[in-house]
Amino acid sequence: MPLLEVRNLKVYYDLPQGTVKAVDGVSFSLEKGEILGVAGESGSGKSTLAHSIIGLVKPPGRVVDGEIIFEGRNLLELSEEELREIRGKDITMVFQDPNTYLNPVLRIGIQVGEVYEAHLGIEPRKAIDKVVDLLRKVRLTDPERRVESYPHELSGGMKQRVMISMAIALKPKLIILDEPTSALDVTIQAEIMELLMEMRDELGAAMIFISHDLELLGQVSDRLMIMYGGRLVEIGETEEIFRDPLHPYTEALINAIKYVRKEELPTLEGEPPSLLKPPPGCRFHPRCPKRMDRCSLVEPGEYMVGGRRVSCLLYEEEGDA
Amino acid sequence: MEAPPKMSLARYIARRVLQAIPTLLILIVFMFILVRILPGDPARLIAGLEATEEDVERIREVLGLNKPLHEQFIDYMSGLLRGDLGTSIKYDRPVLEEILARFPKTLELAIAAELIAIALAIPLGVVSALKPYTKTGLLATIVSLIGSSMPIYWLGLMLIYIFSVQLRLLPSSGTGTLAHLVLPAVTLATLLMGNLVRITRASVLEALESNYIVTARSKGLREEVVVYRHALRNALIPIITITGLQLGALLGGAILTETVFAWPGLGQLLLTAINSRDYPLIQGIIIFYAVILIVINLVIDIAYAYIDPRVRVSLWSSG
Repeated sequence: MPLLEVRNLKVYYDLPQGTVKAVDGVSFSLEKGEILGVAGESGSGKSTLAHSIIGLVKPPGRVVDGEIIFEGRNLLELSEEELREIRGKDITMVFQDPNTYLNPVLRIGIQVGEVYEAHLGIEPRKAIDKVVDLLRKVRLTDPERRVESYPHELSGGMKQRVMISMAIALKPKLIILDEPTSALDVTIQAEIMELLMEMRDELGAAMIFISHDLELLGQVSDRLMIMYGGRLVEIGETEEIFRDPLHPYTEALINAIKYVRKEELPTLEGEPPSLLKPPPGCRFHPRCPKRMDRCSLVEPGEYMVGGRRVSCLLYEEEGDA
Repeated sequence: MEAPPKMSLARYIARRVLQAIPTLLILIVFMFILVRILPGDPARLIAGLEATEEDVERIREVLGLNKPLHEQFIDYMSGLLRGDLGTSIKYDRPVLEEILARFPKTLELAIAAELIAIALAIPLGVVSALKPYTKTGLLATIVSLIGSSMPIYWLGLMLIYIFSVQLRLLPSSGTGTLAHLVLPAVTLATLLMGNLVRITRASVLEALESNYIVTARSKGLREEVVVYRHALRNALIPIITITGLQLGALLGGAILTETVFAWPGLGQLLLTAINSRDYPLIQGIIIFYAVILIVINLVIDIAYAYIDPRVRVSLWSSG
């Protein structure tokens, strides 16, 4: 049994202008200890997907359909209290911008200690030794002093270490990383990545690693999932996808990395699709170099090609997944 | 940065006090002129209707009102520098003594009203932010509507009519016992709650939209902890600002409320002083009021620093 199985998940935002289908029928599974990279442009629905797994989609967003099965239980059917027990303990999350995701008026020691408060019933002040140990583990310098600090007294990299410490405190089974290095300086990014991988080796936790940086995902993930306009485009082994991308969108992304290395700037024509009024048929067809007449008429299903699942009419004859 | 060293707090206060001096000076000049522009002649009021022109002139001389304006001002300022606010024309007592005799009553009423308002408005505001479409949410809307739109003297009179005249539960006017305090304090508190409920609701709503709330929830914290520890603490800054400004306004004397309930505070004193063109007393009360406002603003700023560590940095380090 996989650790996590997401089936036909749909998360919509009801806005005055209409319904935004941010995640529109996405399915995938995750084994224990596996790292799944999720790539896509901003607005592809990858961040909404991450938040919905932990039950934290901000209104007016709501999960309209699907199942999120974690260790055999459908998280969407759990009570708020049952879900609360899983959050921060079995499933944790590291967010994009540590500057806004830490509370500016509470000391670091309290904010980290709250994890123990929520799940072990230890008051944050009494958990201070545990917090210091934890901060040492994420290699925050001078942890005894840092527990007394406020977020604004720390650099961005230090803050992200604090966020990571909260996420690993109770040895979770799944850590969701939502662009954990995008808001940081380039030099700090490498340090944080190194720490994340080290923690992952130590804990053996599975990870969902969300990023728009396909090259980074190529280095760290076992499998890769590409999203476009709220839909899954392609999912499979990372190596295979890099070697032989099936979907024209995946191909364009991977070519982009190769060309950047050669310092020729490639561009994908056009703009990301409007999720309010997505193009008919395949959502990628207006930008697709391999576009066929049918692409604007028929929505592609998901087809199995080898070990991979791909959503493109080019592979229709391979049969439904 | 760590807990602020004591010295820097003292320095900060000293700097703020120095900054207040020019503000006060400008205020005094304007006030001095404005009071004298008021129609009506104190000497004539004191002398009475029967008095002769000579009598009035003699009183003017005693009061120093026959001197040119700039000389009067210099006299007044030199008194101020010696801590002398002058002598009340009407009461024939030092102005400062008269103010300090009334101030405790005003303080009592202001604090009672503010405490009632805080105790009711903050929980009401928080609940209505969390559950806007429940009965409590509706109650919060009604309270803030009443508080911000009902004329205070009308509310006061209604309360007197119900609780003093009809039910005979509480005294309608005067002071002395706790029972005397209830009606005026409740009247004022209603007025204060209008704003306070709205501000609390809005700032809690805003705090709840913040990203750190998502983090707090992702840790598996209970919703009460998320709201009271994470959201409310951040929402306190605007709440404290409003509370401080309200308290400042009340300490100057709640003129309408004090009049309706015959409450012998600064508000009534100011009204009497204006009616009798008691220049030194009017001036004294206004200066006293200005000083209170300056002190309260300072206290608010220091309170910010204790709630928000980021403010602390900028306060202690600038200057």
